[in-house]
Amino acid sequence: MDVKTEILGKYNAKVFKSRRDHILQVEAGEDGKVQEIAANTRAIPGIMTNRGCCYAGCKGVVVGPIRDAVTITHGPIGCGFYSWGTRRNKARAGEDGKNFIQYCFSTDMQESDIVFGGDKKLRQAIKEAVDIFHPKAIFICSTCPVGLIGDDIHAVAAEAEKTYGILCQAFSCEGYKGVSQSGGHHIANNGLMKRVIGSSDQAPAGKHSLNLLGEYNIGGDGWEVERLLAAIGYEVVSVFTGNGSVADIARSHKADLNLVQCHRSINYVAEMMKAAYGTSWLKVNFIGIESVCQSLRDIAAFFDDPEIARRTEEVIAAELADVAPEMERLKERLSGKTAALFVGGSRSHHYQFLLRDLGVTTVLAGYEFAHRDDYEGREVIPDIKEDADSKNIETLEIVQDPKRYRVFLSPERYEELRRTMELERYSGMIRDMPDGSYVVDDLNHFETEMFAKALKPDIFFSGIKDKYVLQKGGTLSRQLHSYDYSGPYAGFRGAVIFGRDLVMGCYAPAWSMVIPPWKAAPSSNQQPPDEKGRNEGTAGGPSDA
Amino acid sequence: MGSMVNCNVNPCKMCMPMGTVTAFLGIAGCMNILHGSQGCSTYIRRHMATHYNEPVDVASSSLTEEGTVFGGEANLVKGLDNLIRQYDPSVVAVSTTCLAETIGENVPDMLARYRESRPECRTRIVQVSSAGYAGTQFEGWFRAVHALVAQVPMDGTPHDGINVVTGPISCADTRALKDLLAGAGLRFTLVPDISDTLDGRHAPEYSRLPRGGTGIEDISRMAGARGTLELSTFVDDSWSPGRLLQERHGVPLLRCPMPVGLRDADAFLKAIEGLGGTVGTRVRDDRGRFLDAMIDAHKYSALGRAAIFGEPDFAYGMTRLCCENGIVPMVVATGSHCPSLEKLLGEETRELAETMQLPPCRFLPFADFDAIENAVVETGANLLIGSSDGRRIAAKHALPLVRCAFPVHDHMGGQRVRILGFEGGTAMLDRLANALISRRDAQFRKTARDLHFRPLVEEEEMERPMAAGDARTGDGVDVARRNARRTLTHPCFTESSCRTAARIHLPVAPACNISCNYCVRSFDCVNESRPGVTSKVLSPREALERYLQVKARMPNLTVAGIAGPGDALANFKATRETLRLVREADPDVTFCLSTNGLLLPLHAQELCQLDVSHVTVTVNAVDPAIGARIYREVDYMGVRHEGEQGAAILMANQLAGIAMLVRAGVVCKVNVVMVKGVNDGHVEDIVRRVRGLGATIANIMQMIPVSGSVFEGMPLVSNKELTVLRKRCEGIMPQMHHCQHCRADAVGLLGEDRSAILFGGAASKPGPIVEKSEAQGPRKARRIAVASRSGVVVDQHFGFADQFYIYESDGSDTRLLEARHIGKGPGGCGMCGQGGGRGDGAKGLDAGKIAKALAAVSDCEAVLAMRIGESPRRQLADRGIAVFATCDDIDRAVREAATACNG
Repeated sequence: MDVKTEILGKYNAKVFKSRRDHILQVEAGEDGKVQEIAANTRAIPGIMTNRGCCYAGCKGVVVGPIRDAVTITHGPIGCGFYSWGTRRNKARAGEDGKNFIQYCFSTDMQESDIVFGGDKKLRQAIKEAVDIFHPKAIFICSTCPVGLIGDDIHAVAAEAEKTYGILCQAFSCEGYKGVSQSGGHHIANNGLMKRVIGSSDQAPAGKHSLNLLGEYNIGGDGWEVERLLAAIGYEVVSVFTGNGSVADIARSHKADLNLVQCHRSINYVAEMMKAAYGTSWLKVNFIGIESVCQSLRDIAAFFDDPEIARRTEEVIAAELADVAPEMERLKERLSGKTAALFVGGSRSHHYQFLLRDLGVTTVLAGYEFAHRDDYEGREVIPDIKEDADSKNIETLEIVQDPKRYRVFLSPERYEELRRTMELERYSGMIRDMPDGSYVVDDLNHFETEMFAKALKPDIFFSGIKDKYVLQKGGTLSRQLHSYDYSGPYAGFRGAVIFGRDLVMGCYAPAWSMVIPPWKAAPSSNQQPPDEKGRNEGTAGGPSDA
Repeated sequence: MGSMVNCNVNPCKMCMPMGTVTAFLGIAGCMNILHGSQGCSTYIRRHMATHYNEPVDVASSSLTEEGTVFGGEANLVKGLDNLIRQYDPSVVAVSTTCLAETIGENVPDMLARYRESRPECRTRIVQVSSAGYAGTQFEGWFRAVHALVAQVPMDGTPHDGINVVTGPISCADTRALKDLLAGAGLRFTLVPDISDTLDGRHAPEYSRLPRGGTGIEDISRMAGARGTLELSTFVDDSWSPGRLLQERHGVPLLRCPMPVGLRDADAFLKAIEGLGGTVGTRVRDDRGRFLDAMIDAHKYSALGRAAIFGEPDFAYGMTRLCCENGIVPMVVATGSHCPSLEKLLGEETRELAETMQLPPCRFLPFADFDAIENAVVETGANLLIGSSDGRRIAAKHALPLVRCAFPVHDHMGGQRVRILGFEGGTAMLDRLANALISRRDAQFRKTARDLHFRPLVEEEEMERPMAAGDARTGDGVDVARRNARRTLTHPCFTESSCRTAARIHLPVAPACNISCNYCVRSFDCVNESRPGVTSKVLSPREALERYLQVKARMPNLTVAGIAGPGDALANFKATRETLRLVREADPDVTFCLSTNGLLLPLHAQELCQLDVSHVTVTVNAVDPAIGARIYREVDYMGVRHEGEQGAAILMANQLAGIAMLVRAGVVCKVNVVMVKGVNDGHVEDIVRRVRGLGATIANIMQMIPVSGSVFEGMPLVSNKELTVLRKRCEGIMPQMHHCQHCRADAVGLLGEDRSAILFGGAASKPGPIVEKSEAQGPRKARRIAVASRSGVVVDQHFGFADQFYIYESDGSDTRLLEARHIGKGPGGCGMCGQGGGRGDGAKGLDAGKIAKALAAVSDCEAVLAMRIGESPRRQLADRGIAVFATCDDIDRAVREAATACNG
């Protein structure tokens, strides 16, 4: 019995029906047709989903990493506390010394605030935050009760903006909205588009300028990417939003090109900027050696400047020379291993390339909160049926900004590049997955455990919530949301760090001691006698190689 | 609700469902489901998994927007169905979240319907109402246990076992507690029991439901127990499981504190004996060992000034453990509302604080880490005890943090923390003592070096050969190193040299090119120099004469500076000429200059050529909006700029100038005048910014509100506020603590200005400086001591004064002779008698201090103070010293006193 059937068999009829379309085994289609998967539907109650809420997507993912804004969580204390410093999105104070990444601000609503309304408290909290911290902007993110008791956070924000003369933007991202973090991303994107992007016209100083969208600087990824881009000669105007600043985002529309790294969380901004300002966007991937090279060459082709092309090749050559020998050694250690990836929006896709560089095969990949386009490619967007949950998230009507609208590419060049690179398109994860591998949307704990048993991946990339489920079951788990304590994993140098972390995990001596001597088979080499040994924790151990 | 603060900055608590989930995880075969949106489960699992390094499965009813409109029953039913099917738990615990409570979900009714519709379901379902806004994890924990005891059907058949209920404790402590109870020969039911469920083994097979936990059948027999031992001081009767068992089932309740520390462990053992248990030799031996460890560690423990934060029982227990070990709790904080904690803490900590002559322990209820940080800085706490959320304070202020409370996110072993009982206490004490030892050892070399060897060491370093790339002058001199050597004998830059090295300020620069709101042009800038004395301006020639004259009398004169009375660079011609002349006469003297920085970029290069090695720039803002509130007008190259524009021009020049000087190897000090309500919140930004440019030391000063200035009505920054701010900024760059606000014509050692004596009095040679009233007749000049904090008004109690301003006045002319620290007799150095005292004023009046104060003013004829005690007043009278109690301006008060003395 294949694992999908086995898993579905354990569910009741309703769950069976609902989960059936979220799990597929990849088969090569005719003429590149991609299999359809169900995604972005409601999580099933009681099923131990890994998903978070709308607030997590808005505050935790998109708004939170902006370093010089004070983001106040309006609600009871829990949500603020739980989204405090957990994502490892790094930031460094800018010229003005402002960096609030280490802080958590909350209105800490009490029972009386629920009864009598919390807007007074919010107003006071903003005043205190402005008085003490002098931020560049105030963002307000609401949690569940706020929407229900009817606090008008947008009015409070507008009033505060007048009083204090700084940008003050509220996000109604109550946890119950949408079906996952994804709704929160959209709300955050809308807020940034409405109020921040385009509010300053300070032009870039460099000849070629770009924005890095969907890069949250986990473990310093963004810094590593920026280093490469700067070495080639690009000016990175803004990053959305890892180590991002309000002033940079405000003038991001002045850049020539948007690079989109995490497609899921930021594609709305990319599309809206295209519509309002004419800015082209390019899907890039800085994870994995081959992918970085490809992405850098794509960007160079976009700008079509011989000097940039030359610098690109020089930087690639220099970086490759630096890391190639160690990548070779790491590959020797890791070749033949298998991996499962279950992460948020785009990493499950991106990391397959890096794993391939290291000789590791992907046997399963899935997204926590993706939509069908992240799996199947953007061309399916018109076919996606809008349900009540997605309709509840506002879609902005974008009009062209007559003053600021400009097109970088000629129509001919645009068409040409559309064919050769992922310019304003994304073909999704499934196309890049090997035949026979599994794609699972919204994987839950039960399925994680079942798949780990059935597919026996050497490494399961996931998050902290399922990490110990896996490791207790004998499968090495690395957190790919937060990189455990490690990183950066992006770029050339990041690839090496990633490889080292895998070797360290796979070859941790403890795995070889899981079976006590009195239980070991009487053979001399301590190899577990049967396949059960895998479950007993030798996965990834040297004896597997 | 009690707190005045509306913005919680860095919370020191979590929400109620965190506590219910944790407690329910201590029940055998129990699965949690939160009724609400799924984020709550995800967040709580995430945080618990990080602390316990265990799988933490918490389901959610995943309410969506639709659920908020139509109610969440359908989702809850689905959730229960799926959870029970997938996990087959023996108990399911339903906790509500903010969402469910806000929309008013009636969970008990829903569960009743659920049970009715599924008669085959054998799973026991309990529920607790736990809105996140209604309490913290501490209350949540007890409410969960309370719900269990209330909802599990009870069997009241009497048996010989006892019930033990704990608050939130670690897995390892739970194990130890069980061992202790079992060792005493007691049969017991411990609720909850997370010893295995949240600290599992690596087993061959992963089990979806963790093993261990209190069995539901054991809970049902709690009604028949001989008694309940509830290990919590702060459990509220309305959610106390013990109280419920007592009221409903007549089980006697015995409450004792969590057994943290020797006394509470003793109390716990006594309670066990009272319940028929026997305390064996092993435990008695452990007590002896703990006591032994306490005595052994006392010399380290006594170094400790602790800040303790966490749940009420933890905070109280840890406070008691600290107190009995001589670690002085300075700050105790909890995120909960817990009024009864305050009183108990006061009683517990008073005696030790008094013994150690420290202020009373500060209690922070409903606290966030921002409040804790402020209290830590203000009280000088040196040891943080609590959860890993204190790590930001620890890193910022370089303090040790002993992680021993939930959550421990950044270190290993949160589940294995040991605090309870004798063994736990010993382990904890070792950790605390070792943290203090490490801190002392880590600082020992620096302390010793600073105290005894710093100048020697640095001179040696300077002898080392130059490295390539060091900044040099055209003739190959290493400027930076030469200037660094000069720093060693510059009293403003090196505190230890202020006892030996003297300086002269040459008043050659009368004009100023900016208008500060704290300044009145008709006087010297009080915020840069001593108040109220108008000094004569010298020409460069006169300045040279004065320099040579002073140098002849003071061989230890190492520094010549230009500090106004206006701005040195606004009078650049005079400044340049003065420096040129003095350098010709003395090739070794260190040149120092103080400026507002507006013209710094213009003159920086020439200053270097003039061999100026030290420059002080006063930067009061790096944000034009704030600057605009401080600077009224900026006259740049003949054009007047106001508001933000002016401030922006000034700032740009200041910062660029500092950068230029630093590049050229000049040592830069930055003065910041702290104006309450204007730039006080901005000072850290300023310091960070100039630090980034390479400035060496910052001198944050109080703005002195001068009458007649725009800021005359502004509040005065207190010394305490100043200290706190300096302390904060110390993490960014070194701070100057010994500034004496010198006059533009100051001469001598810092804090012992001789200018009036040298030039202003009878001994004056170059001519009197302040002589407007020569025809005043033969009135005698009286020496008058003034107790003042501000230096502007008489605003200090005699007994509280750490220093006196010594004035001389004949009733019309007044001049300041010196600021004299008590502990130094007349004529001594005011700078070095300060010792290591901290917490100004808080120590109260001791007899020794009064004696010192009396000695310090013994050569005066009158004392001016805001108030004075009866005894010192009498003693002064006995010595023939007149006493005037006043709150007047110093100037006027001194004149009046002198007139009164002259009869």
